[in-house]
Amino acid sequence: MKSEVKIEGNRLQVTRVFDAPRHLVFGAWKDPVLLRQWWGCKDTTKVECEMDFRVGGSLSYKMNITGAGEFSYTGQYDEIVEPEKIACHWGFGAATMRVSVEFIEQGGRTKLILTQEGFPDQSMCQFVSQGTDEAFDKLDRLLVCQEA
Amino acid sequence: MTAVFAALADPTRRRIVERLTRHGETPVTALAEPFHVSLPAISRHLRVLERARLIQRKRDGRVHRIRARRDGLQDAQKWMAQCAAIWDSNFDALDELLKTQQRKEKRR
Repeated sequence: MKSEVKIEGNRLQVTRVFDAPRHLVFGAWKDPVLLRQWWGCKDTTKVECEMDFRVGGSLSYKMNITGAGEFSYTGQYDEIVEPEKIACHWGFGAATMRVSVEFIEQGGRTKLILTQEGFPDQSMCQFVSQGTDEAFDKLDRLLVCQEA
Repeated sequence: MTAVFAALADPTRRRIVERLTRHGETPVTALAEPFHVSLPAISRHLRVLERARLIQRKRDGRVHRIRARRDGLQDAQKWMAQCAAIWDSNFDALDELLKTQQRKEKRR
């Protein structure tokens, strides 16, 4: 686990420093061709995404996870401040996830702070627990990191 | 687990749980004080937390003592940790992509 993780109630914060300038990191969230290359877990074989990258614009992802089937969700961009911040929300079954991403410049490197506020329902929990081995491996490692 | 997240969606309820986790068992009246809300309002919040199994109530005559239930939070935290693991895995891939892009930029 290279990211720093903070969990508080229903709020999750994942912080990661990328060794790349801010415009590149932001660009990877803005361009569907690039986004498709890194979005989704290891077992994700096909990511399709359509995005209208502007405030109020819609976003939709469809992905195929080996052994778990196809999943899709749709949402909307709530705030875009290039190259500093993106906020969006998406629905998944009856659940709504709110995600905001901040990009902070750090002398040629970029600190990314992702905040997720999630209200999962059954389908969402099932979705996240798919591809369990990988997720649990990582979870174990995460917990070890947190304890250390 | 939906009940847990719904219960935690409210900032006052979140603070109640945080306070209980830090200070241990607390009487309802003492719990109401720092939040500047009426006793009936606190009671409503506590009922929601009770239903989500995030707290436990002990009746001591007329005094109701509240404590946090550790096990109530566990499932929700596990779920959040799994989300974190997925983001971390995404960011590994993003890291690789950014390295490739920078190599390409240098070559130009």
